[in-house]
Amino acid sequence: MKFKAFLTDNGVYLLEKRFLPALDKLGKTCHVYLTRDHAAFLHNLLNGHGLHSVAQFRREALFDDYRISSQNDDRIAFAVDVSLLNRAVRSAATVCCGSSSDGSNNRLQIKLVKKLPPNCTQPMPFLTFETRGYKSAVIHDVPISKPLSKTQVLELQSALETAQDLPQTLVQAPDLVQLQNFVDRMKYLGDSLNVFISKYGDLHVEVSATLISLGAEFRKLMVIGEKADAPAEDQNLSAQSRSSRSILRGDGQSVQVSVKHFAKSLQCHLAKPDCAFYGIAPQGSCLTVIFQFFIPGTHQTDKSISLHCRLPVLDPGSS
Amino acid sequence: MSASGTEEERPELVCQLEHVQGLVDALSAVRWKRHQDAVLELSEHGIVLVVQESGCLQAKLYLKRELFVRYDYNAQVRPRFGLSLGIFVECLNAFSVPAHSTPIQIQYPGPDMQLLLKSVDSMDASICAEIRTRIPETIAWDYNFEPAGTNPLTFTVKSAALKEAIEDLEWPGSSIHVILEPDPPSVTLRAEGHGDLQIDFLYYANSDLLVAFQCDHRVSVKYKYKFLKATTSNMPSSVIKENRGSKLSIGRGGMLKVQHLVSIAKPLASHSYVDSIGYQQPSRVAHIEFFVKPEESDDSTND
Repeated sequence: MKFKAFLTDNGVYLLEKRFLPALDKLGKTCHVYLTRDHAAFLHNLLNGHGLHSVAQFRREALFDDYRISSQNDDRIAFAVDVSLLNRAVRSAATVCCGSSSDGSNNRLQIKLVKKLPPNCTQPMPFLTFETRGYKSAVIHDVPISKPLSKTQVLELQSALETAQDLPQTLVQAPDLVQLQNFVDRMKYLGDSLNVFISKYGDLHVEVSATLISLGAEFRKLMVIGEKADAPAEDQNLSAQSRSSRSILRGDGQSVQVSVKHFAKSLQCHLAKPDCAFYGIAPQGSCLTVIFQFFIPGTHQTDKSISLHCRLPVLDPGSS
Repeated sequence: MSASGTEEERPELVCQLEHVQGLVDALSAVRWKRHQDAVLELSEHGIVLVVQESGCLQAKLYLKRELFVRYDYNAQVRPRFGLSLGIFVECLNAFSVPAHSTPIQIQYPGPDMQLLLKSVDSMDASICAEIRTRIPETIAWDYNFEPAGTNPLTFTVKSAALKEAIEDLEWPGSSIHVILEPDPPSVTLRAEGHGDLQIDFLYYANSDLLVAFQCDHRVSVKYKYKFLKATTSNMPSSVIKENRGSKLSIGRGGMLKVQHLVSIAKPLASHSYVDSIGYQQPSRVAHIEFFVKPEESDDSTND
């Protein structure tokens, strides 16, 4: 099992300034999954609990001179502490930039190694960041879990494939920071959040507790997938009656998710996506948030980067 | 775009406020603990919110109808209901967007006697809330403030100075003497407990802090520190920024009345400094009154 690559400048920027800070908010540890073509960071895909998230990069988006080999069809997966990884990348990037003045080849190499840590008899696996300057080399070792077994990797791969299913209707989320402000305040009022999405481009989020219900409604959002025109007679109704009518018509769906999960998923704005879409998976099995990234300076989707989250529903079947 | 098509009963009150943060500030000022119940009284003149604790402390927030951009009152009998002040404040907070003035509509009652809140700035993005109300207990308020004699015993001090003085008095202990002295005109706050601490406001020496003073004989009344502290503990920062004053009066039986003014309107950048109380747009100011009962009801006045 071997993995060795050089992080490109853009790769360092993507990880250090955008993705790792966002992934750090989603959960303490994640799986890093490396294949011949992709590198992915996965939260909770194997254990089934909590918020699932998948951040996937085509290898050119992060690396050059990418070499991977394993007996498992050149796939390697392991668990890592996101904040440690973030610190190592940040620190290695600083060393890398700092030594650039001498004109030497100061690329940032990343590789999997086994080392014998002090006071240990067994060698342990590490993800190593190595920066070579003219006079010195700086090495950061990030401890990782034992590489996942062949069955676990297969499990991860199939979880990743099922996670790619798109909801039939996706609505474009309003300003994420504003939504986050609102949801942060909702956290004080209740634990579960009702999320309603319709083919008319409605997104309705609501917490309801014994003494209070508080909700925000966004209308006329952009719709991807199945869409429909909102019936004119519904225009002046309250948000609740509009959502229940469209659910009866089969034009809308609602699920209940944890406010905490919803707030966490909004932390993905740290990865600076260009837009985000919400959708409910068929049979209301989960709430999906898909973040879209554009090729800089254009409005074309950057297909080399993808990020999405799936929020488990609290009360399956009620939709 | 008016209300629904069917001719339903009109709600007893529909009102709109331009700037929700002002209301959050005013309500927070009378919130001295996390879980607190409040009673709201609606009338043709405005809304009064009353909060009280264990028969020793009462606070009233007056929101005159002039504060609202719309105030449609249709009740025959003045509606009165209770709700959780904490939930009301947290909920209004969710309407407030930083650095943005959010207009809000308040309606009572909803279909199930709820208080309904709605943001009204945009048709395509709106926030709605329903707060459950309850029937208030019919306890008699005994906070009728009456003057102690023919001449009122009252002084006005800068709100910031009052807050600071009360905070400083925290360490010595549980009781605070408020002493008014006519000659030389001065106000003394004295705490005795773990130690002694006395803070004097001299009318002639500190005329910038003690802006008004009226007293014809010496008075000394003792209040529990925690109740005195509640009168200033959550004073909104706008009160201090606008350099407002607070008026304190001692009435019959030693009852202390503390009055603050809280700006409800959106702060104007060009007009942020105000010289004295009520100077800036008096109609855009909410009045807050605290009533504090003395620690020993009989030992109230005289020297």
